[in-house]
Order: sequence, then structure tokens, then C-alpha cells
Amino acid sequence: MSEIIKLNNAAPAADNVDSRKVRTVRSRGVRDLLTFLMVMGPGLIVMEADNDAGAVSTYTQAGAQYGVHLLWLLLLLLPICYFIQEMVARLGIATGKGHAAMIYQRFGKWWGRFSLFDLLLVNFLTLVTEFAAISMALSQLGVSPYLSVPIAAVALISLVTTGSYLRWERMVIALCLFDTLWFVLAVVVHPTWADVAVNTLLPTIPKGGITFDLIFLVIAIVGTTIAPWQLFFQQSCVADKRLRFADLKWARLDTFIGACFTILVAGAMMLVGDAMLRHGVSYTDPAQMAAALGPIYGRLVRDGVLIMMVNAAVLGTTAISLSSAWAWGEVQGWNHSLHKPVREAKGFYAVYALCVLLAAAVVLIPKAPLQLIILGVQVLAGVILPSAVIFLQLLLNDHELLGNEFVNKRWNNVINWTIIVVLFALSLVLALQVTIPSLFPSSGN
Amino acid sequence: MNAEPVFRVIHPLDDVAEQKRSLDNLGHIKMTQSVKTSLILLRSYLILMMLLVGYQFLSLAGLVHFGK
Repeated sequence: MSEIIKLNNAAPAADNVDSRKVRTVRSRGVRDLLTFLMVMGPGLIVMEADNDAGAVSTYTQAGAQYGVHLLWLLLLLLPICYFIQEMVARLGIATGKGHAAMIYQRFGKWWGRFSLFDLLLVNFLTLVTEFAAISMALSQLGVSPYLSVPIAAVALISLVTTGSYLRWERMVIALCLFDTLWFVLAVVVHPTWADVAVNTLLPTIPKGGITFDLIFLVIAIVGTTIAPWQLFFQQSCVADKRLRFADLKWARLDTFIGACFTILVAGAMMLVGDAMLRHGVSYTDPAQMAAALGPIYGRLVRDGVLIMMVNAAVLGTTAISLSSAWAWGEVQGWNHSLHKPVREAKGFYAVYALCVLLAAAVVLIPKAPLQLIILGVQVLAGVILPSAVIFLQLLLNDHELLGNEFVNKRWNNVINWTIIVVLFALSLVLALQVTIPSLFPSSGN
Repeated sequence: MNAEPVFRVIHPLDDVAEQKRSLDNLGHIKMTQSVKTSLILLRSYLILMMLLVGYQFLSLAGLVHFGK
């Protein structure tokens, strides 16, 4: 009796694949679940890696300053994260190419170079902050930075040089899932759950009213939640994983789950920060927060926060360095895939290793101007994000490139242009605040 | 009698590469009104940002002071 065979994808030549690699199932549900598990990865990783060291600092600070009052903002950012990254996934699946290569090809060398160098610079500066967090957290755990930083750098390089995309992806997904420890920490610090529920669902203004400090923290949260490297990373990652047209709906689900997970983790970070406010302890940075909360909640919270800082920095570093290496490799026309062993993609791996090693080296320089670097990250991220999103929006309306199947629908465009206008306005305010702070009186003054 | 369906699941990395939307013969994007307007706005925004950065340099060098 002949069987009706249905594939999980639309590949016309799927019969040519190695039969040992084909799984046969008899239920549509099992097929869908298996396919999703196979496609899952880029969306979850890009979202969770965005909860990097800078994000830990921003979200815990928001909690320490304003308690649970800004939780609603995270809920508002959830669809924004999703809509932007969904476009990137769609573009990657439709073209099989990375974002940097596409900007070069469709907008010319000037815009291509501008986007690439801006990306590389802001990524590098962000990497320095990631290593600074590793150094700070492990110092509190009694490990010298001269030991922790080089070991972290070597481990991060080893993570990608296995010659297997899947091996890298599985290890990074495990690191992403390790972030669930933030939920445990949030529960251990005993927030008032009724307040959490109310402030998540209803936008409320903190006690001091709308101050410039509050506005800048809101901008910092938006800037932390949507970062420029994410656009480049996910498109290249989707292309490297060779996702097929039929995988688009699963890639969307992956992105959506990733967005929900990252927002929940960010919320948990705010709740941990909120414990500082409730105990009347002033906040300086996440490492100081860990030290302050240790005597109140025990070693689990102290060590947990420090370890999660390291995890956040490691996740951020691998994703950000890869976005640089993929972008540079695409534009240079080099082999730029994690499937390739080092000998076949020397340039690609060299860029990754160089990013990691240089950033690690900067952190080990005594009296390195870390505060200046953090300011640089804020300004550059403010410059590159709106421009990167504009190119994304134009590419997603490029009928010549994508045909009618993959271009934005009208409702996509309405949502995206709204997001772009808001991002431009926020970036401008942030840039003005950083460059001409006297324009904005601080509420503390 | 209907045969029981069988579904085959293949990992994207093990599957045959599919033909993607090709960029090879496309060249640069068509300069429609919306593309032109977006790029002009982006240029203006970048020029403004550069001016702010320039101001910051001058300010750090002690050459200008705003509102003081």
C-alpha cells in the first residue's frame, strides 16, 4: 500500500538528501514540533543575547530607582522587538544573505561602508563593556581579572571554532536557558506580586513624576532592548542556518518566543533591582547590587547575580562578535560560515577572534576610560539604530528584491514607520543629552 | 481506503539548498520617491548627529559652552 508522503518544507529536490538524515513521522503535530525544534535558534539567541551586561545594568538600575513602575514599558517593547526582528528573519530567509551585504548591494558602497564601520565600531565598544562586566563580576567572586578575562576570551573563541553551526547553537541556547535563573532570583527577593501585576499591565508614573532622569532611563531601556547588532546578527544567522522559505512561520514563532523570553528575563532583572529600593540601599552597578543584597537574601542572590552577569556578558560577546565577523565576511566575499573549519574561513574567524581579544585587552589596561566607552556606545548606538532600521524598512519594501511574497504588507509599514519615528526621536533626545547635558536639568539638581 | 500519511522532517542544514531570491543582476535599489525621501531624512539626521559630536569635541576642548 503506497503512503502519502508530505515534507516539512517546499524543497523541490528534497529526495536528494541523505536518507539517514530524514526523520519520518506519522503525525502532523509531531512533524510540526520537530520542524520547529530544528528551526528554533536564531530568534531565541538574538533576543536573549540582547540581555547582555549593559542590559543587566540598565534593567537593575531601573528597578533600583523606580521599583516596578517601569515594567509596563517592557510589555510595550515586546511587539516592537518582535516586529523588527521578524522583518530581519523574513529578509534572511528570502535572500539567504546577510544584512551588511544587502545594504552594500542595494544602496551602494557609501551607505554600505557607513553601516559596516558604524556597526564594527559600536560592536567593539560594546564588547569592551561586556569584558568589563566579566572582570567586575568575577573579581567579586575572588578571581583576578588577569585570569578571568583571558580565560573568558579563549573560551569565547573556542565556542565558535568547532566547525559546526549546530554545536555553537546548542551551547548558546543552553546559555540562553541558563538565564531562567533570573526568575529564581526574582522570586527569592520576594517582590509584591500584586504591584508587579498592576504595573505590568497599567502604565504608571513613579512617585517623583516625569523627570528628565526618568525620560533618559526610558530611552536607555528602549536602546538596550533594541540594539543595532541584532538586525545584522539574526539575518546572517538565518542565512548561515540555511532556513528555507517554508521555515518562515517557525522562524517567526522562534522570534516571538525569544522576544517573550527576553522581556520576561528583563522584568526579572528589574524585580531584583527593586529589592534594592525596598531595602533603601543605593545602587551603583550590578556587582555592587550583588554585594548589597547578599547579606539580606543570602549567597544564592549574591553569587547568582554575579554569575548571571558573566552569563549575560558571554552571550552578548559571542553574538555581537559574530555579527561583526559575519558582516565583514559577507562584504569581503570571504567564507563566513560557522560550518566551515578555521582553515577554510580564516578571515571570518580572525575577525571574530580579533574583536574578542582586543576588547579583552582594553579591559586589562589599567585605568582604561570605561565611562567614555560607555558614552560612546550610547551615542553610536543612537546613530546606527535608526539608520539600520530605515535600510531594513526600505529593503522590506523592495519588490524587485523580494517579490510580492516577502515584502511588507501595508499594516507592517504603518507599524514600522511608527517605530522608526519613535526611535529617531528617542535617539535625538539621547544624543542631545549626552552632547549638551546642560539642556536637560537633572531631577537630582 | 485512505493510506496513513507519512511526514518527512529534514533539518535545514541537511536539506538541499533552495534557490533564494537572487541579488546578482539587481544592482542598486530603484530611487522611488519614498526611497529618496528616506535617504535624505537619514542624511539630515546623520549631519545633525555629526554636528552634535563636533560640538561635544569643541566643548571638551573648552572652546564652546552652551547655556553657561
